[in-house]
Amino acid sequence: MTDTILTANFRKQFSGGPEIVVDELRIGAGITVLFGASGSGKTTVLRCLAGLEIPDVGEIKFGGEVWFQKNGNVFAPPQRRHIGFVPQDYALFPHLTVAGNVGYGLNDLPAAERAPRIAETLQWLGLAGLEERLPRELSGGQQQRVALARAVVRRPKLLLLDEPLAALDTPTRLRLRGELRQLLRQLGIPTILVTHDQLEALALGNDVVVLHAGRNVQHGAAQEVFSRPGNLAVAEITAFETIQPGVVLETRDGLATVAVGDARLIALAEDLPIDAREVYVCIRAEDVILARPDSAPSSPRNHLAATVRAVVREGPLMRVNLDCGFPLTALLTRPACEELGLHEGLRLVALVKAPQVHLIPFTR
Amino acid sequence: MSGAEWQLVGFSLRMAFASLLLILPFGLALAWCLARKDWRGKALVETLVSLPLVLPPVVTGLVLLQIFGRRGPVGSWLHNTFNCDVVFTWRAVVIALAAMSLPLFVRAARTAFEEVDVKFEQLARTLGAGEWRVFFTITLPLAKRGVLAGTLLAFARALGEFGATIMVAGNIPGRTTTLPVAIYQAVENGEDAHAWMLAGVSAVIAFAAVFVSENLQRRRK
Amino acid sequence: MNNKIIATILSSLFALQLHAAQVTVFAAASLTDSLKQIAADYEKTSGDKIVFNFAASGTLSRQIEAGAPVDIFFAADETKADALEKKGLLISGTRKSLLGNVLVIVTPTGAPAINSPAELTNTAIQHLAIGEVKTVPCGTYAKAYLEKLSLWATVENKAVPCESVRAVLAAVESGNVDAGFVYKTDAAISKKVKVTYEVPAADAPKISYPLALLKDAPQPEAAKNFIAFLDSDGATAVFKKFGFIVLSSPATK
Repeated sequence: MTDTILTANFRKQFSGGPEIVVDELRIGAGITVLFGASGSGKTTVLRCLAGLEIPDVGEIKFGGEVWFQKNGNVFAPPQRRHIGFVPQDYALFPHLTVAGNVGYGLNDLPAAERAPRIAETLQWLGLAGLEERLPRELSGGQQQRVALARAVVRRPKLLLLDEPLAALDTPTRLRLRGELRQLLRQLGIPTILVTHDQLEALALGNDVVVLHAGRNVQHGAAQEVFSRPGNLAVAEITAFETIQPGVVLETRDGLATVAVGDARLIALAEDLPIDAREVYVCIRAEDVILARPDSAPSSPRNHLAATVRAVVREGPLMRVNLDCGFPLTALLTRPACEELGLHEGLRLVALVKAPQVHLIPFTR
Repeated sequence: MSGAEWQLVGFSLRMAFASLLLILPFGLALAWCLARKDWRGKALVETLVSLPLVLPPVVTGLVLLQIFGRRGPVGSWLHNTFNCDVVFTWRAVVIALAAMSLPLFVRAARTAFEEVDVKFEQLARTLGAGEWRVFFTITLPLAKRGVLAGTLLAFARALGEFGATIMVAGNIPGRTTTLPVAIYQAVENGEDAHAWMLAGVSAVIAFAAVFVSENLQRRRK
Repeated sequence: MNNKIIATILSSLFALQLHAAQVTVFAAASLTDSLKQIAADYEKTSGDKIVFNFAASGTLSRQIEAGAPVDIFFAADETKADALEKKGLLISGTRKSLLGNVLVIVTPTGAPAINSPAELTNTAIQHLAIGEVKTVPCGTYAKAYLEKLSLWATVENKAVPCESVRAVLAAVESGNVDAGFVYKTDAAISKKVKVTYEVPAADAPKISYPLALLKDAPQPEAAKNFIAFLDSDGATAVFKKFGFIVLSSPATK
């Protein structure tokens, strides 16, 4: 984690909603993901950081500035925070063109510099030629980029994105996920990004802050947080029990071969950028099928020799921790466990279908 | 229609326009506060603003007479400081028209502002826009139709205003006689044909204003 | 025995109710206070009820022409009665000119005095209340007077037309005008104005109050009785008390 640039300690109570309790939140430069299920308060926290909501008590500090302090009666309105904010539905001004929208925040710039800056930003985001269009004439992906352009054109100190990909249809979302990651890294602006999608969090962020029922419950590197949930709350949110770093060895016929630990996995390569090398391999525990070596079904592409390391009871289900050359977690019903005669040390075959091996490219 | 009659129509139109100059700044500010803000006495303010709509116009006229008469709080100050009279002059006409039409404007403008999603205003603030800039570049343009409809409605109401006007401005031909007052006087004098002609002009202007206003309010999004 | 007395009393009261007539009088605004008192006296003795509509004589004649159900018309101006008579709405034989009055200039109490009508042209006088000249007799008289003195052209610009002589009085009382033309009888009942100039009878136009029974009167008999009462000593005394000039002979037509 880099040096802290933002510290927040505050509470906010909405009538009829959960109380948001942000306790000792420290965010560094780089891209931080605020991750949580719907209703966990992520958007509210983001809006408090933006100055669009005022917490009941506490304080928020950014750089050397105090943005909010209840005791000192300090509140810096959004205008004074020099931030860029992109809400989930983009909120593009319907009565202004793309150029008008993007240029709206440039009032402080001398008139002569505005047009070049707008042009440069539009160019960089692939929006050149759309200056005179109105928001309603744009596609979802274009609107998202205009909203981003509008937020970054004035070189803000902090970028706040609320579910940036949620408003897009699934194919577009997957395609733009990679683009957005690149864009954000190129921008180099400290960014806080809200999402409920675990793969998005992995793809876009360096650090993840997990919010559960209005409280920040864990903060760490993305892979850390998801593979080693700090408590039951986090574990409940994270859907991928197995997250391991891997290296793409080759891609052929739409399939990618990935080296994970000592094992090799086959995954779908469709959304993988051509030059992807390092990836996170994510597998849901429910997607892991266990079988005796002699009676394993043949359709799943991945057959891994596995040794049972631990069997833990979780309500009506059994969580099985395996060693396949890398740690793999499976989830089975109790009857299934008994049928297999699961016990520590047992050797089995773990089967995972190629489409259920998710790859998230990352760069350190 | 004779020259004097055209002058009368011209006078009424000028007075109605002048009343808009009073209505717009106060009305926009009031409508915005009512749409966006909340405070302890808000219900009271809402009621006061709506009063001229339901009170007999002569009552509003009476209240204005008390305030702006030579012995009233504002009237005496104006008379003593600037030797300026309000009652029985064109100034009283403008004030009466503004008082009676303000509620209509505020209602329409308030609805228009309420229909502007606050998310746009909030976003403008994150882009560094101060409150005045947010109002003039975001809120008002997005509320444009409703505000315009309200302005037309207020204009039409001002043109037809009678009860408060006659109380506070009287009926001084050439100086405070508006179209509705002239119609009343014509009837009083037994000049029926004259009255009908003026009534016709009045009706045509009112019809046009309300027609356009209704259309503006209907064709939205 | 007691029951019979009660029954008789009740039935005679009832009878009185059935026979009591309601007389409708349209009268000039300046007659408001005097006529109300006279009517109160009359109602005690006659058992009839008098209902009034006080307004500018021109307004009243307009309403009569439009068909208002009226028994008696008592105007402040002969021309208003002439107009009705020309349309055949009056019963000519009943018309008589009962009263006269004096035209005065009044100012709000405490305002500087106006010693002659010529002073009305001074810039200090910004607003002058006058009855609407086409419908209010007091206004017609004032205009005629000022025209005679060649002052009307100048004063016209300051004129604030009012819908009745009482409206003129109210305007002066409020202080929103600098002076006004009313009758001496109106000035007398107000404590908030003072008479600053009394128009001499020689200079003033002839002020005459005609009284007549209307042709379509709903209650002609009761109306005639009241008209007779208005001519009686009792009524005359009341008029004089309020300051009216009582004309001795009926107008000849």
